[in-house]
Amino acid sequence: MDQAITNRRSFIKKMAMLSAMTAAASMFPGILFADQQEAGIPSGANLDWKKGPCRFCGVGCGILVGTENGKAVAVKGDPNCQVNKGLLCVKGYHQTMCIQSKDRLTHALVKKNGQYVKTPLNEALDIVANKMKETIEKHGKDSVAMYTSGQSTIPEGYVASKLMKGAIGTNNLDCNARLCMASAVAGFLTTFGADEPMGCYEDIDHADYFITWGNNMAEMHPVLFSRMLEQKTRRDAKIIDFATRTSRSSTASDKSILFEPQTDLAVGNAICYEIINNGWVNTSFVEKHCNFSKGLTNMGYGIEDNYKFSDKPSKIDFEAYKKFLEDYTPEKVSKYSKVSVKDIKYLAAIYGDPNKKVVSYWCMGMNQHTRGTWMNNLVYNIHLLTGKISQPGNGPFSLTGQPSACGTAREVGTFTHKLPKGVVMNEKHRRLAAKIWKVPYERIPAKPTYHATEMFRAVDRGDIKFIWTQVTNPLVSLPKTSRYRPGMEKDSCFVVVSDVFPTPTSDVADVILPASWHIEKSGLYGNSERRTQHWNKMVEGPGETTPDAWMTIEVAKRMGFGDLFPYSEENHVEEIYNEYRQFHEGAKHGMAPLEVLKKESGVIWPYVDGKSTQWRFNAKYDPACSNGEDFHFYGKPDGKAVIWQRPYEPAAESPDSEYPFWLNTGRVIEHWHTGSMTRRIPVLHKAMPHAYVEFHPDDAKVLGIGNGENVKVISRRGSCILPASINERGLPTKGQVFVPFFDENMMINDVTLDAFCPISKEPDYKKCAVKVEKV
Amino acid sequence: MPIKSYLAHPHIGKKNELAETLSKIDQCEVMPAENKNVIVLVTETDTDQEDEQLKEKLETIPSLKLLALVSGFNTPSPNKN
Amino acid sequence: MKKRLGIISLFTLLFIVFIVIWNYSYEKGLEEAYIPITNEAPTFEIPSEKGVFTRSGFALEYLDMPIDEAHQRSLETYYDNRAYPGAPPSIPHPLIKGERGMGGKACLQCHQNGGFTEKFNAYAPVTPHPEMINCRQCHVAKLTETLFTQTLFTKDQAPKVGINNALIGSPPIIPHPMQMRENCLACHAGPAAPKEIRVTHPERINCRQCHVPSDRVITDIEVFTRDNNTYDE
Repeated sequence: MDQAITNRRSFIKKMAMLSAMTAAASMFPGILFADQQEAGIPSGANLDWKKGPCRFCGVGCGILVGTENGKAVAVKGDPNCQVNKGLLCVKGYHQTMCIQSKDRLTHALVKKNGQYVKTPLNEALDIVANKMKETIEKHGKDSVAMYTSGQSTIPEGYVASKLMKGAIGTNNLDCNARLCMASAVAGFLTTFGADEPMGCYEDIDHADYFITWGNNMAEMHPVLFSRMLEQKTRRDAKIIDFATRTSRSSTASDKSILFEPQTDLAVGNAICYEIINNGWVNTSFVEKHCNFSKGLTNMGYGIEDNYKFSDKPSKIDFEAYKKFLEDYTPEKVSKYSKVSVKDIKYLAAIYGDPNKKVVSYWCMGMNQHTRGTWMNNLVYNIHLLTGKISQPGNGPFSLTGQPSACGTAREVGTFTHKLPKGVVMNEKHRRLAAKIWKVPYERIPAKPTYHATEMFRAVDRGDIKFIWTQVTNPLVSLPKTSRYRPGMEKDSCFVVVSDVFPTPTSDVADVILPASWHIEKSGLYGNSERRTQHWNKMVEGPGETTPDAWMTIEVAKRMGFGDLFPYSEENHVEEIYNEYRQFHEGAKHGMAPLEVLKKESGVIWPYVDGKSTQWRFNAKYDPACSNGEDFHFYGKPDGKAVIWQRPYEPAAESPDSEYPFWLNTGRVIEHWHTGSMTRRIPVLHKAMPHAYVEFHPDDAKVLGIGNGENVKVISRRGSCILPASINERGLPTKGQVFVPFFDENMMINDVTLDAFCPISKEPDYKKCAVKVEKV
Repeated sequence: MPIKSYLAHPHIGKKNELAETLSKIDQCEVMPAENKNVIVLVTETDTDQEDEQLKEKLETIPSLKLLALVSGFNTPSPNKN
Repeated sequence: MKKRLGIISLFTLLFIVFIVIWNYSYEKGLEEAYIPITNEAPTFEIPSEKGVFTRSGFALEYLDMPIDEAHQRSLETYYDNRAYPGAPPSIPHPLIKGERGMGGKACLQCHQNGGFTEKFNAYAPVTPHPEMINCRQCHVAKLTETLFTQTLFTKDQAPKVGINNALIGSPPIIPHPMQMRENCLACHAGPAAPKEIRVTHPERINCRQCHVPSDRVITDIEVFTRDNNTYDE
């Protein structure tokens, strides 16, 4: 609060100075003052600045939104936020411009005889509640489902979980974070038994090397990348880019190493081989703090409906692991990974040098992978073998894609198998949830049901008869939308879509609910570095727009669960957060009280005795360590992290003579996910008006394709026509094409494959086989 | 907490001297014009009383010819909220 | 006799074949040439990433550089030197290395990294594309001030400074084309940068993180809204 007043005072001082200067100018025409003094005075003088987190991406930059006459007119980086220290990116600076889009959903729309009819929100919520109740009565609890988001606020995710699992008693709740973070979660749980990174962004200020694994941070995590660049220029820290495509990040890096898709598994193992073979293992660390395990192999790819898999871990010893790695000598791996022996040894030597601090960063490249969990495990192996973990400047760091993938999806647990603390399979966890929710413990089912992909398959099959999506646009973001769009169009399923703007998903809705945008409601997010961030409502939303949490509560009340949702409309965010906090009490995950969050620009958990824990599992920083050693991986019962034996296995679908290209998909800096928000920001749309397909110049030459010419990308699932882009934004390796997925008019996800990682159930958007034709 | 802005007119040839004197006072922030004989002065004080005292002090500066008030604001104190 | 007949008939056959082929190719030659009509390329191009970080190694030096007010350029003189905004600047000084000087041995000696030249009492502007060494392919010298005949050509308005923000205080969008000018620091930092467009934060080398390219000289791109969500009132 003090800070806000100081800002306001300095602002008023500038105002006072400005008025005196104006007065002087009228008395002395042509009067001049020193330039810098004038520069400090903003042109929109009457702005009131309010703090919050950015709406886009998982970095979680602090923003200040300038409001004037009830409208958001300016955005700047919050200089007091530890994450971004005043800096934002193109999306962040212009984010509020989308709210005033002409096609904003301002009222509820109900489909009647094929036409959407504007309906008072109260009536629309009645329809939703009645339909949900009726479906449960007719077809059972497991015929209704909710699909939410890593962009839902903490209260939104919490009431959705409480409604589905606590009130109704079904685990049919999953979220779009399944499409981006599930492999990271599974990686953390299998290796450490506790989700989310052990380090924090401050690692950037200490590391000597940054190794990015399939991660174009310059475009996807630009603010963090800028912090890395700053260390590069000031301290000569090095950035190594390990990827399948040459991007802006590769250009800025000290070294760019390209590999053949899917062979990151082999290269990861080859690095471990080199570390062991050269005697770079931190023996005392491994002996004290690590176990070795292996799991099942040849798991399949989940392409068929009702696919089930559960891993069966078994302990192995160091010798067995060493033997296993003999298949992954740099020489052997180099043959199929297309990474030179020299480059593999170079990477291993960086990790192996005890005097160099290394941080590994990754995001979708490793997570959206049919062996995503394994790949996460492998990078942890490297850091565990060398003991480079949980120390300032040393550690593996899994980045998130969405602003609250951590805060909501992972911590509140809006996955089918999760509870706000723990998993539904665990009786203790169910009992705790039942106690805090004040529901009978038997009501929470012990078996997980549908993960995202399977949920939409169930809609297609007719098993799910009612689905409510919030804060997400699955018909652009799911893989193989060519199946799931017709699936959702079927009459067998009643579709409710809450959103801010119309999307291809709302096109198939029976009821569309008008949601408040980010700054039109209060809320909390949690970013990649375990930082919980609160903001207060800054402007009024148009029409009948309402916060998602409140619409869920209203439906719960209408279904007869009013006593479980005793929150007030004005203050529900605060009430829900205080209830939710009880789940995480204790030194391992304690969350900061709301009064602290209101003052600070985000606070990292575990928050113990008024202090954030920046490096978990390290006794020097983490009060939860209790084994008397330097490190304690308390997520596992024996306090030890697991080094996993995970082999290389091929992708679900590889190029062949008929479909000779790899298809890789991803994002661009200008657009956020499916573009439903950023495309409505005029500057960003003008900078990147439509999608494109990137070719390697050699491939383009063979195919006779020129820059800008239209090309049809075809897979066994569907096709998509896009203009070719040759050596512009990105340069894929030969035999690979790349398409950004933000464009609903060029739906590349009609082409992608819905194969997923059997452990995490996260689909692989980065690899499938396609052919291309000129049109 | 009053914040006030003034136009301070120095005696001829005394502009630099006045700017220097004013900038030595804690509560004052000055911005001399580059090409005219005038200085913009912003004062920030904690209480009305302090503001009065400052005003009296300013009027005793020998290089100052005229002090003209332009605008005044009052903001809450950072110490009590 | 038989042998002679064989030879004669062989030559007759060759002669007939020759006539047929000649006629065929003559007929073909009369057909109108076919020129394939290629689809018009879309008007939108994604700016290249080439050279984006080329001068970033000097970022910290740029930051610490004192401003030499006596010798700084202004945007006005910057545009004076160009036939129209975006045109290659003409060479406003005598050619030091003579008419045959090229690239690395001539222009680039000053224009690759800039620096003060006593001779012209000015800082040499830095080229954003030092890899192109046939400088005078595009940059012309100025040997006379008079014209051959009068012209009606008028210069287009150059992009202005300070009006390119999408929101109050947001980072200005990039108001000029970026082809061959991908390297922002070349013109926006250092002592030769025009004072109005000299960046205050050269150390933030990932410029396009915050500044959106916006130049749409070819066609204007309309704002994105969907038109298929009609509903009854």
